[in-house]
This record gives sequence, C-alpha cells and structure tokens, in this order.
Amino acid sequence: MAISATRPEEQSVGSAITGEAPPDVRGPTAPFPRAIFLLGLASLLVLAIGTVAIQIDYAVVAPPLSQECINAGIDADFTGHAGVCHIIQGLRATEMKVVFILTIVLGLAAIVLGFSTYRKMDTRRKRDNAYDGAILGIQAVLVAAFVWWFSASQQFLTFAKLDLNFAVLAGHVDDFLRGAKNTLVLAFGGEAGGIVIGLVLSLMVLSSRRVVRAPARTYINFFRGTPLIWQLSFAYFGLFLGLGWNPSPFLAAAIVLAVNTGAYSAEVFRAGIQSIERGQVEAARGLGMTYLQSMRYVVVPQAIRRVIPPLMNEFVILIKDTSLVIVLGLAASQFELYSTSQDLYSSTFSATAFVAVALGYLAVTLPLIALVNYVERRLRSGLVGAGGVH
Amino acid sequence: MRRRLFGVLACVMALSLVGACAKSGGTGTTPPTTATTGPTTATTSGTSGTSGTSGTSGTSGTSGTPIPKATTLQAGVLTVGSCLDYKPFEYKDSKGNLTGFDVEITEEIAKRMGLSKVNWIKANFDTIFTALATGQKFDAVAAASTITPQRSQIVDFSDPYYNARQSLTINKDKTPDIKTTDDLKSGDTVGVQKGTTGKDWATTNLEPKGIQVRTYTTITDAFTDLEAGRLTGIINDEPSSIGETEDRPSLDVVEPIDTGEHYGIAINPKNPTLKPAIDAALAALIADGTYKQLFTKYFPTLPLPPEFAPKS
Repeated sequence: MAISATRPEEQSVGSAITGEAPPDVRGPTAPFPRAIFLLGLASLLVLAIGTVAIQIDYAVVAPPLSQECINAGIDADFTGHAGVCHIIQGLRATEMKVVFILTIVLGLAAIVLGFSTYRKMDTRRKRDNAYDGAILGIQAVLVAAFVWWFSASQQFLTFAKLDLNFAVLAGHVDDFLRGAKNTLVLAFGGEAGGIVIGLVLSLMVLSSRRVVRAPARTYINFFRGTPLIWQLSFAYFGLFLGLGWNPSPFLAAAIVLAVNTGAYSAEVFRAGIQSIERGQVEAARGLGMTYLQSMRYVVVPQAIRRVIPPLMNEFVILIKDTSLVIVLGLAASQFELYSTSQDLYSSTFSATAFVAVALGYLAVTLPLIALVNYVERRLRSGLVGAGGVH
Repeated sequence: MRRRLFGVLACVMALSLVGACAKSGGTGTTPPTTATTGPTTATTSGTSGTSGTSGTSGTSGTSGTPIPKATTLQAGVLTVGSCLDYKPFEYKDSKGNLTGFDVEITEEIAKRMGLSKVNWIKANFDTIFTALATGQKFDAVAAASTITPQRSQIVDFSDPYYNARQSLTINKDKTPDIKTTDDLKSGDTVGVQKGTTGKDWATTNLEPKGIQVRTYTTITDAFTDLEAGRLTGIINDEPSSIGETEDRPSLDVVEPIDTGEHYGIAINPKNPTLKPAIDAALAALIADGTYKQLFTKYFPTLPLPPEFAPKS
C-alpha cells in the first residue's frame, strides 16, 4: 500500500489506462503528529522544570524540618540537615505529586496516541514525530514513576542523608578546583611524556629487524599487561626507593603515568602508521625517497591525522587514571580530584563528596569527549578526498 | 609467635577508625563496614572461663572503698552488648571462648559488683547506643567505644578504662634530635593514614605550622617512606606504630600523643544505680593492679598510661 501511495506518476498512468482511480488504502491520515511529539516532550519538561522549580522554592522558603526528617536523624545535630530535609520535603510535597501525575498523564497520552497512530501517518517525518513522542512519553513515565516511588520510600531518607547532603561541600570549592588543576597537570604531563615515548616505540615496533622490535614489544606488553596501580606502587615504594631516588609522589606519579601511556600510545601510532597503504610508501621509495624521507613526508603526516581521535580518547582515559595516584600518599597541596573527595569523605562520612567529584570529572572530560567527536567528524570528512577512509 | 600476634594487633589498631567497631566521634554516620548480624543474636559466656585468669580476684574485698549496690535488668547478671569481633578488645579465642581486654575488664567489674555472671549479647555497632538508650536491652555496652559528647547525650559513660593514644614516630638515624612534635619545623613532612584520628590531629595541630601532611591509604607505606627519609615523622595509633617499628630498627616511637580519645563503658541511662557501682569497681581494679595485669596481657609492648597505674 505504501508503494501505491508514494508513486503518484504510476497511479496516474494506471488510472489513465483503466480509467478509474486506485482505491485509497491509507485510511484516514492521523492528525497532529507534531502535537504527539510535543506531548511527549512536554511530559519530560513538566517533570524536569517542575522538580527544579519546587526544589528551588523549598530551598528559598526554607520551611522548618518536617517530623519525618527528625525521625530519620536529620535533626539539628546533623550537619546539613536543612538542605537534605528540603530536598526530601520538596520531593514529597503535594505540588510534586501534581507534577508526577501530570507527567504520567501527559506521557501516557503521548504513548497511546503515538503508538496507535504512527502507522497511519503518510510521510516519514510525521511517522517519526508520532513515534518519537511516544518514546519520550515512555521515558518521562518511567523516570517519574521511579522518582515518585523512591522519594516516597523510607530508604530515600537514608539515601538523601548520605548522598544529597551538599552542605558538606561548603568551604571545599577551592579544594575541588585545586584538585581539578592537579588532575589536569598530571594528565597533561603524562600525555606529553607518553606521546614522545609512544612515537619512538611505534617506530621501533614497525622496524623490519626483530632485534629492534623485540625490546619495544616487551616494553609495550609489560606496561599494557600490568595494572597501573601496581606500576605506581612498585615504582614509588619499590623501584625508586631501591635506586635511592626520592622524588615527590607527584613527580613519581607523572613519570609512571607517562611510561604507562607511552605503551598505549605506541599501539595507537603503530595502528595509524599501518593504516597508510603500503603502496604509498612504495611510490615514495620509487620516487627516490629514503625510508625515513617517505615516513617523514608521506606516511607520518597522514598517520597523525588518523591517530588524533584515538589519542584524545586515551587522554580522557588518562584523566580518569590519575585518580590512582592516591596510593602514593599525597600531601594536601598535591591532592587531585579523587583524593580530594576521599579526604572530604573521611572527614564528613558523607558520600556527597563522591557525587561532587563525579561532577568535577565530568566537567573536565565531557568537553574533551565533545571535542574528540568534533575533530573525528572533521578529519573523517577531510580524509574522503585523500582516498583513505569512506 | 609474638611478632605475628602483634601484626594482627597492629592491623586491627590501624584500621580502628574504619572497622566494624568504628570508634570515631560522629553520631548517626554509618561506618563503611558494619557488623553483619542484627542486634539480638545472643552469645552467652559464663565468667568461669576467665575468672581464673586473674590472680588478684580475691582482693576486691580488701580495697578501701565499698562498691555501691546496683540493680540490673536480670538479677545477679550483668547484660552487656558488644560487637564481639574487635581484636584485641573483644574476640573469640582459638577454643571459641569469648575473650579480650574489654571482656575481661567487664567481667572483673561484674565480679566486684557482686554479680554472678556477664551475659554477652552481640549487637550491631550502628545501633548499639540507641538500643542501650531504650533501657530495655542491656545494662551496659563494652565495645571499645570512645566517649563522645554526642553519645553522652543519649547514654551514660563510665570513667575511661582505656586511652587510645596517637604517637609520633621518627627516624632516629636521620633526625635523632626530634623528641616531640614541637621539634617539627615548617617544611617537614609527616605521614598519616586517611580517615584516622591521627590525620585529624596532624591537620589541626601541625599543618598550620607549615608542616606538610601526607595522607596514605595504608600506613605501612608511610613507614616505608619514613625509613627512606621521605618523611620526617608519622602520626598514628600508638599500638600500630609500635608494631610497625618492631621490624624497622631505625624507627622509634618517641612521643605518645593524648588526643582525648578515651574508651568508656556505656551504661543504661535509665538505671542511675549502675554508674556509681561500675565506676567504683573500675577504680578498685585499677588500684589493686588487676588493670595493669590485663593491660600487660593484651598490650604487651605498650607503656601503661600513668592514670591506670595501681595505687600502692
């Protein structure tokens, strides 16, 4: 039926021959696909905006502690009791129930309308609109139902007390900023050293001589095959100590991170170089270039473009791996993000420190991930002309 | 054998702030690891197993001050809650008998109060004080628990029966002149373990003087660094430091640091007769040397704090 609907010229030909119009088998076109999409979107927005507005309202108005908070130990003796209780009160308020019900009603409407009508839409776009509206509705209903159920449960009091006590972060913003700085210093230091080591190793691994390949392979396999936390501990408390060298734990950490990243970068560079077709090297050699010249002018410039996205991905991984340096025993001025949160956690016993540090890591890594994706798209389109990638 | 035993002891002490019987000051905070069972799994142990261990058991009558009479939940029996798994304060020995420093001290106290036995009840440390505060479950709680203002609001505490001290350890090969924390200078570095009283003490008292505080996840690494000269000193639990320095001849525990972390027996606040009796019994067993004997038994390498020395 879809075929006859989308080929008007065929229809006109057919009707010209038979002299009658083909039957319209589409059925009545369902109206308002756009409205269904907006219904689904509205259900999510009502939930998000309603929750935020009510939370802000409770934080600003600051009503007295409710009895259920006091019964759960969120009383005047508990640091941050006001903030925690306002979150609980906000989520359990009558206004919030209205938001939940509205979300679920809107979401269910979008689901029912979307799924019951999308087959009858006459264009792809209308069909997608109705379908997407229904999917948004499912998401809104699931989230609303879960939040409603969980915030009403007894366990939520414990959860909020432990994980949503943002008052414990007060006065520690500087600590987290210093932590972010130290994390980035470690990551950039490790990456810079890692790229140099990795480039040298990758060229060694690609050598035609086994005796040159073997040591580089050994290095790469060793550092890829042992855990970073072991490398850190062993280097600082075993190796450096045995050699009579006492660097600061921070410097030691940067060195180990560079050595470790070098092994992974080497594999990235190797893959990048090997991805350049052999014919290009042969052509370059045919033009009279030496092996090194063909690498320098033909292979490496192209390979670099191809390895930038995976290298940046590795950098994101390295940022997270810096958290392991906590095992070396850092001074307060050397705390990176993770040790900052550990320190705060062990003095407050509030897991909110961990929640905060996750946000800290994401603030650093999400822009980088976006940049990787952007660069990847740019390079891919640039390489189409070079004939390498689809 | 002794060294091995001490290793266990040192580990327990080093982990004392994060263990099942966490004795940190906070109320309402859940320790990272908790005792596994609910509050009412009963394990009882008669005094017969331990009464013979004290050579001075007959001397209670001779001490000068009489011990006041006290009533208990169950006549003639002291019902005591504990988490029962916290060496060397309370644990089961190889034969399965309940023993430990807390256990023996409590049983000596009960004997001096004229009670025939102690009924030990295993309880979850999280809720042990609220359970005691109800006045229905236990007469007392002996669980290596620090006397804190928060806990004192809901239960009574006996006089301290143990002083959990911190200590300064130094490397006598490299810095023989350092005798106390006052000798540490700006630019020196001390090691501490994450989340311990020692760390809090060092952060409060040493960091303002320009002394760097390095936080280790395991204290053994700090001792390795002190030996290598990467640290000037370590602030750590006294028993743990003494255990660690046994194997490292260049290191020395030079100064005990009293951080005010004292263990007390928590007492049912609804029974006013108990505290005077328990305090008097405790004073009596300190005075007659029973305390010293038990202290030496469970903490063979620790110096006896002067406040617990027998009165002659």
